[in-house]
Amino acid sequence: MTDVLATANIVAALLAAAYALVTALRDRPMGVGHLVALGVLEVLLAAQVVVGFVKLNGGGGPDDTATFVGYLIATLLIPPAGAGWGLLERSRWGPAVIVVACLATAVMTVRLDQLWAGTVG
Amino acid sequence: MADRIGAGAPAATGGGPGRLLVAVYAVFALAAGARAGVQIATRFGDAPVAYALSALAAAVYVVATVALARGGRTSLRVAVAACAVELAGVLVVGSLSLVDAAAFPDETVWSAYGRGYGFVPLVLPAVGLLWLRRTARARGPGTGGGRPAGGG
Repeated sequence: MTDVLATANIVAALLAAAYALVTALRDRPMGVGHLVALGVLEVLLAAQVVVGFVKLNGGGGPDDTATFVGYLIATLLIPPAGAGWGLLERSRWGPAVIVVACLATAVMTVRLDQLWAGTVG
Repeated sequence: MADRIGAGAPAATGGGPGRLLVAVYAVFALAAGARAGVQIATRFGDAPVAYALSALAAAVYVVATVALARGGRTSLRVAVAACAVELAGVLVVGSLSLVDAAAFPDETVWSAYGRGYGFVPLVLPAVGLLWLRRTARARGPGTGGGRPAGGG
């Protein structure tokens, strides 16, 4: 894990969550802006997956490789799933789904960083 | 407010605020499922009870997610049952994990009432049951599903 990339991921996820939260509080459905935000987040997450695998291959990484890889791949699934589920709802609850998806990726990125550093089991 | 739509749609378990509930359930189904899969695949012998419970929790979350998302008469009952099992599970396993820590050498989603997951596993089934009761009432007693009996 690179701290810079992990931090960028967390910041992007939180910004996207805040944007979607404002939309939900204003009682508007989600729009193209949310999809762009989720797209940017997905690209950053994909970069994290690539870097993660390269570093694992280089011999680094946590003892619990399986859990780390599980989290790594699961993070990739969340933004598209959130976008799909949110798009089905043309009300404030669409962006609310995006808030949940973005917060989940932020939490999972924090967990990834902890697993890599070995601070949790 | 030109683009405000859909607020008056009839109550469905997977629509409106329910969509948020399903999203949170889906995240937990993924988290619990991935965790259980890794635990069982890599070190089942270490703590078979805890890991079997992780798998059970994951299965219940998946069932609840699908049932809430689908809506409909049968799904409503399945969703009530899943939420009730979840609530019972988090209370029983949460209590046992505090009383008899030796039986749970590794964490499950439900350990210590879901402390490792911000107590969301404790709140989620309660919110789910309340939401199911609300949608069932909104549908009216004559139209579909009836009231979910009991409700945990």
